[in-house]
Amino acid sequence: MPTSLVQRCNPVLALYVALAIGAACGLPFLRVSPNRLLSGEPVYLWDVLLQHGSPLVYVLMLDIAVLLCIAVWQPKGLTTQAWVVLAMAAGLSGVWLLASHFATSAIQAENPFSRTALGAGFWALCAMAWMIALDAIDRLQLTTLRRLLVQIALLLPLLLSLNEGQHLSIAKEYANQSDIFVPAILRHLQIVWSAVVPALVIGLLLAWRMTQTQSLRQALFPVLNVIQTIPSIALFGLLMAPLAWMAVQLPALGHAGISGVGIAPAVIALFMYALLPIVRSALAGLEQVPAEAVHAARAMGMSSRQLLWQVELPLALPALLIGLRTAVVQTTGLAAISALVGAGGLGQIMFDGLFSAANELVILGVIPIVLLAMLADTFFKVLSSLINVRPQ
Amino acid sequence: MGLSLMASLAAQAQAQAPVRVGSKIDTEGKLLGHMMVLALEANSIKTENKVSLGNTKIVRTALLDGEIDLYPEYTGNGAFMLGAENSPAWKDFRAGYELAKKLDFDKNKIVWLEPANANNTWVIAVRKDLATANQLRTLDDVARYIAKGGIFKLAASAEFMERKDAMPAFNAAYGFKLRADQALVLAGGDTAVTIKAAAEKTSGVNAAMAYGTDGPLAALGLLVMEDPKGVQPVYAPAPLVREDVLKRHPAIATILAPIFKSLDRPTLQMLNARIQLEGQDPRKVASGYLQSKGFLK
Amino acid sequence: MIRFEHTRKLYDGAAAITDLNLDIQQGELLVLLGPSGSGKSTVLKMVNRMVSHDGGHIFFNGQDINSFNVQDLRRRMGYAIQSVGLFPHRTVAQNIATVPKLLGWDAHRVQARVYELLKLLALDPEPFASRYPHQLSGGQQQRVGVARAMAANPDVLLMDEPFGALDPVTRAALQLSIKTIHRATGKTILFVTHDIDEALLLATRIVLLNQGGIAQVGTPLELLQQPANDFVADFLGRADLGLKQLSLRSIAPHIQAIQGTEPIYAIAHTATLREAISQMATLHVSSLSVTDAAGTVIGQVRAADLLENQHA
Repeated sequence: MPTSLVQRCNPVLALYVALAIGAACGLPFLRVSPNRLLSGEPVYLWDVLLQHGSPLVYVLMLDIAVLLCIAVWQPKGLTTQAWVVLAMAAGLSGVWLLASHFATSAIQAENPFSRTALGAGFWALCAMAWMIALDAIDRLQLTTLRRLLVQIALLLPLLLSLNEGQHLSIAKEYANQSDIFVPAILRHLQIVWSAVVPALVIGLLLAWRMTQTQSLRQALFPVLNVIQTIPSIALFGLLMAPLAWMAVQLPALGHAGISGVGIAPAVIALFMYALLPIVRSALAGLEQVPAEAVHAARAMGMSSRQLLWQVELPLALPALLIGLRTAVVQTTGLAAISALVGAGGLGQIMFDGLFSAANELVILGVIPIVLLAMLADTFFKVLSSLINVRPQ
Repeated sequence: MGLSLMASLAAQAQAQAPVRVGSKIDTEGKLLGHMMVLALEANSIKTENKVSLGNTKIVRTALLDGEIDLYPEYTGNGAFMLGAENSPAWKDFRAGYELAKKLDFDKNKIVWLEPANANNTWVIAVRKDLATANQLRTLDDVARYIAKGGIFKLAASAEFMERKDAMPAFNAAYGFKLRADQALVLAGGDTAVTIKAAAEKTSGVNAAMAYGTDGPLAALGLLVMEDPKGVQPVYAPAPLVREDVLKRHPAIATILAPIFKSLDRPTLQMLNARIQLEGQDPRKVASGYLQSKGFLK
Repeated sequence: MIRFEHTRKLYDGAAAITDLNLDIQQGELLVLLGPSGSGKSTVLKMVNRMVSHDGGHIFFNGQDINSFNVQDLRRRMGYAIQSVGLFPHRTVAQNIATVPKLLGWDAHRVQARVYELLKLLALDPEPFASRYPHQLSGGQQQRVGVARAMAANPDVLLMDEPFGALDPVTRAALQLSIKTIHRATGKTILFVTHDIDEALLLATRIVLLNQGGIAQVGTPLELLQQPANDFVADFLGRADLGLKQLSLRSIAPHIQAIQGTEPIYAIAHTATLREAISQMATLHVSSLSVTDAAGTVIGQVRAADLLENQHA
């Protein structure tokens, strides 16, 4: 019966497994090149396994295969899902270790400057392992916090075995950037924070004003919408000239670090982009505050400030958090571009890689940005679930 | 009395302000920039590292606006930066340097310090197999090859294709022009990308814009086409510094002069290759070189 | 306590309230009655300045209300509305504690007051104090609304059709609660409604409004027995005037000693005339014996006596 097909098996898992097999067979697992500049020759998973496969590896792979097949037909079994999660944790660290060993042997066999880059197959397998694990975690039906902990635990074996990959190209790029890597992350966070916090404060203020004056709302929303459509690089560029002029006119600004290049044009542009999601969600939040609660509050003798803090903001908070989440994730990604105006951050590493035709360096810059964005997203998801104890 | 006290305090504060060293984002720019930072720091001049700031325009504007104090530039760029495109002096190493030095000081109070005797001029490099098959050695040969209908596709930056003293100068001197489908125009100016494209025949590219001091050319199987008509100006790297900063730290000139003197074309090629091919960190390559030459303890 | 002197209110140039003069005494339950559009809600809202008046004066305890700081004024008046307006993000206890907290009461005093009010409004403090509004029924929400209005022991309670949205059974229960609370606390209550029966049940005095002006002011009985004009009579339901009167009057003055056989059926001595006649009609009898609180028969009432002495 078609209705019970979904109950009898897990089609999502079947799909992921099929994709994973396709990736393993069809996409190159690694790429080996004689130097940093040239693209590498593809190396497929079976090549790597033939060279480095010990009996242990084969047994492990067989186990995982069997487990996944069973899991496809047991969509509801909780123990099965738990085993799947464990298997995927092992799988993630496993592919990393395979790649690492291959890279180490390549260094020893060929010239010392040869580069082993992670291929599309590697990334696809990682992505599939992650998705399978997420699906299994979903089926375990945990609370938000526990789910988060399991997701972190999933990465633990991988994190512990990171060091093995020191001969991979990406590790070599990291070695070159190691002393600026953490400062770059901090700089990136600084850019995001400096843009989002003022956007939150001013956005809230604007939204509050808009609930009181209709004309302000009609005037401001088109402006915010237009700003969103301006390509980010263009906006950064447009801000450089006036800021440089200002820095010349008022040297104090220059000493404070505000100038035509650097963090100032980037933060201002990012602030402008972050305004729209925040204002929109704050306004939606404030407007769905029940009118009778506001009426009653006023009649009870609350001042406008007390009304805002005690009634309107707490009730608008869930909607506001959604907009804030969007703004933070958006800004984290966009902040990468600010490297083009000299603001530094993780985007700097990314562009370095682009201009030097070193793909692994690009990935080194991009992965932390993606992780930061995911972290921010999860943080806000958890926050939202914590305050949503009482449905409206 | 109060005013002079304030002035002297201000001067003291200024003297302690770090020298902001910038550079362009290409490989050699980063190499030279880091060399300057390391050399100044080793001689007790505090610096602020703004290496890899942006492209030529951004970095040059930053220097003129006073946002950075020092960065490595090329003598040949003086032609279009200082509005003296038509002077023949640019084709000569010494004459070009002197002209740039004079013009920039008169106009902008920017001081050009001692240059390196390396010509990092724009070149066109073609794949070795293409060169051997068609006996291409000079740009004359290339022009003839294209006129005969030979397959040619050049990877180059937009700046190279548009600047009057770059591709258009070659076109005029050697009488060839590239159709739109014979050029792959990129936004950035780093030759690593163009060289890689030619080496891997990406999108049918078999020639690349490169710089005279590029490291990977030989290793990646590309041959530089000679420029017998001497179309290109000489691009010798030299440090540019704001006059007021130099007045505060006159030692900058004496520290950097011997370093730049030691950098000739083969040296720069070797250092660039270390960064682009072997993937070493520009900072480490710079400090390794300075140490090997005794500029750094 | 509250005095209106030539009070006027204009909306878009047209007069919504024309020359209102009214004196509200302390301790009375004054009902503002009238059809929709009569301005009764407006009059109520002018008292706590949710609506500003355009002419004349309004005095609270002898002082012009415009001379008060508006928040101080409102904190001295309880306010309960039809849609209740509880804060969804706060518990019942926190809702009730709103004005006391605004006034800076200490936590002990607040908690004691919350519990006291919950009991007064027949809500068991233990489960109810920590519940959220969405977990309550309509009637329970309105009870919390009234408790919240009374929390800081205001001088006057303003109520704007508070029971209009409830079903008849709950409405009746709440009406009874308000009547009891009024009797127990002696609070001045200003109550707006368009429901005549509700007005007749609760009011010590009724102000019947028509198109922004007062049609008649008086006790419920006065309005029923001596309607000032046709409007009053029509509004109160011409045909039912007699019956409505009956529900206001007690059988007590009509109790006689038993003559002859004791009537089979009995009725409590606290019953109204309406209840007595209704019982007689249902049981097909023309007399009932009257019992006291303990259940002892103390006399009888006869249908004829109940209907005759109208002005007793």
